[in-house]
Amino acid sequence: MTEMNKSAQITSSASNRKRTSQYVAFGLFRLLSLCVVLILFAILGFIIYKGVGVINWEFISSAPREGMTAGGIWPAIVGTFYLMVGSALFAFPIGVMSGIYMNEYAPKGKLVRFIRVMTNNLSGIPSIVFGLFGMALFVNYLGFGDSILAGSLTLGLLCVPIVIRTTEEALKAIPDTLREGSRALGATKLQTIWHVILPMAMPNVITGLILALGRVSGETAPILFTCAAYFLPQLPQSVLDQCMALPYHLYVISTSGTDMEAQLPIAYGTALVLILIVLAVNLLANALRKYFEKKVKMH
Amino acid sequence: MVKFIESELVLLRKEIDEMWTLVYSQLDRAGEAVLTLDKELARQVVVREKRVNAFELKIDSDVEDIIALYNPVAIDLRFVLAMLKINTNLERLGDFAESIARFVINCQEPALDADLLKKLRLEEMHAEALSMLELTKRALAEESLDLATSVFAKDNLLDEINGNVSKVLAEYLKDHTDNLLPYLNLLTVFRKLERSGDHITNIAEEIVFYIDAKVLKHSGKVDEHYPEK
Amino acid sequence: MTNSKITTRDVNFWYGSFHALKNISLSIDEKSVVAFIGPSGCGKSTFLRLLNRMNDLIPDTRLSGEVLIDNQNIYEKGIEVDELRKKVGMVFQRPNPFPKSIFENVAYGLRVNGVKDESFIRQRVEETLKGAALWDEVKDKLKQSAYALSGGQQQRLCMARAMAISPSVLLMDEPASALDPISTAKVEELIHELKKEYTIVIVTHNMQQAARVSDKTAFFYLGEMVEFGETKKIFTNPLKEQTQNYITGRFG
Repeated sequence: MTEMNKSAQITSSASNRKRTSQYVAFGLFRLLSLCVVLILFAILGFIIYKGVGVINWEFISSAPREGMTAGGIWPAIVGTFYLMVGSALFAFPIGVMSGIYMNEYAPKGKLVRFIRVMTNNLSGIPSIVFGLFGMALFVNYLGFGDSILAGSLTLGLLCVPIVIRTTEEALKAIPDTLREGSRALGATKLQTIWHVILPMAMPNVITGLILALGRVSGETAPILFTCAAYFLPQLPQSVLDQCMALPYHLYVISTSGTDMEAQLPIAYGTALVLILIVLAVNLLANALRKYFEKKVKMH
Repeated sequence: MVKFIESELVLLRKEIDEMWTLVYSQLDRAGEAVLTLDKELARQVVVREKRVNAFELKIDSDVEDIIALYNPVAIDLRFVLAMLKINTNLERLGDFAESIARFVINCQEPALDADLLKKLRLEEMHAEALSMLELTKRALAEESLDLATSVFAKDNLLDEINGNVSKVLAEYLKDHTDNLLPYLNLLTVFRKLERSGDHITNIAEEIVFYIDAKVLKHSGKVDEHYPEK
Repeated sequence: MTNSKITTRDVNFWYGSFHALKNISLSIDEKSVVAFIGPSGCGKSTFLRLLNRMNDLIPDTRLSGEVLIDNQNIYEKGIEVDELRKKVGMVFQRPNPFPKSIFENVAYGLRVNGVKDESFIRQRVEETLKGAALWDEVKDKLKQSAYALSGGQQQRLCMARAMAISPSVLLMDEPASALDPISTAKVEELIHELKKEYTIVIVTHNMQQAARVSDKTAFFYLGEMVEFGETKKIFTNPLKEQTQNYITGRFG
């Protein structure tokens, strides 16, 4: 009888210990997750608190005045927009076609793996190095000078690895049986890719591109040497003109200038606008993905 | 799936029907030939026996194919197995018809004593056997348990007639000792007819098995109109 | 003397260094149904896929021997593979409709082969959907996504799609193995109808299906074709003991 009691006691104390350790562990996880959320809210809250007072229609739609101590940030918004479009135009075709080549055409083996490793390395290069490279190649060697063209190309280079990776993932997700089905009907590889595979992959590819752009719109270093200007009297007229950009604007306003007290609120306002743009881009990507998912619903 | 086996079963049924008709006509003619000692008719029966045998082989092979290819189950399986056994029984009937025909061919007499034949009830037995065969054919076609079971009692009549044959013949031969052989051989005809009745009864049992999944073999079967003796 | 639609002579096939098919020689008559049976991995699907050169899509493979369709070696240099696949269609194990509408799925083969006449396309789509016994079920929803159909319907859609380009041979790789019994029955009925127009080769590991549906059967084992003959003969009295052991379920 005592044997049974003993073992019952042992098991009950063991299960008690297990229960408490579970509570402790999960409690810790919950706490840490909350911390992360808190940090995010702290940053957003801080920026919103400091910047929301400055935001109004005039701020968004008019140019800076009085040596950047007053006025709005409209040209910077426009500039950021131009850069996003420009880098998309550059990164998208190159990235998608490379992704298609690597997943559909290249013989599976060392070469493809090598390219993939190199692509990943490319995305690991510090963005300021990209900026330097961009300056050397686009601004100086090719003679574009500080311009939207040079800035777009440089930012595009940053996007390319991400687009390649997203394209590859999107293509890999499509089952081979669809490719086989198309080939079995006498379609060529190109026709199969164009008519069946790409339309299916496109939602995810575009989503990937938009997310890349959202990230890249906040990059300061690459545009530092290649295009950004502190102040321009008028909006850029051609791709060879310089442009203003939100991240750069934020940097300059916060660190140099004549009247720090008046400039700081503008800085926070700029930060808020930038964050809102990135948020909007992410939401757009999400909405687009859901829309395309419905169109191309797989069972 | 249904379409495939359905058409095969229909074909099988048609074949069995043809075999039935063939065997009926054989038995009919053989009995006819005995009554009139028509040797020509008898020869026809003997020649056609080859067809009966060929038919039996074909039906056997077809049943094998159906089982191998279509895996019949439940009622389809019972049907196919019933057809197989009916086939064998019909073939035996064909054999008996041939046997009877050979008796006619080998019979040296120009004719048989008509009175005796009447006393022996040959025609009656022959007609009853044919009617049993026809009944079973109808029983299968109409899938009627009643028709099938009615055959069992009719067999009693055949047994009764056959049972009397020895007595009546012995009585007759006492007074007609000069011509024993053909009448002794006549006994075979009656035996064959009696065994025909047994085989037709087997056929009826198979039909009951097919329709009702009831196994009646080796048990007493009674119909209220023809009580067992 | 029926015409041989497909003839192979001493076909050997390797995946890398693995000898998958050994000296396969057989002859398939036109407008007949031939079934390939055998345990998993015996090479029957591999051999099927040789007939429309689908194995070309797999890297590192090698073939020796001749594969003749309509008396022409389809592995000769200079053969347009895409043209071959118009003549030799294929239906796969799992239904694989494209993410398009029902109509566009069937029309796909025609469009990628350059057919532009819309009324011809519409006519062909209707014909083949009828031929696949699917028309009545989908005629009011041709613009709906193909994924709205059930598994059995999708497979029949794939069959219509394969037939739309008017091949003369249909290869079916376990076409009913992913389907429920009723859909399977419909597909088998379809094959029975289709053999009036097409030469059909079907891989199946359901032996009863092979018995029901085919005129001739080939038994494959470990890359070899052990026996090839009339289905009736194979299932009542096969020549080789190995064949008998397989179909009676004693191995494999």
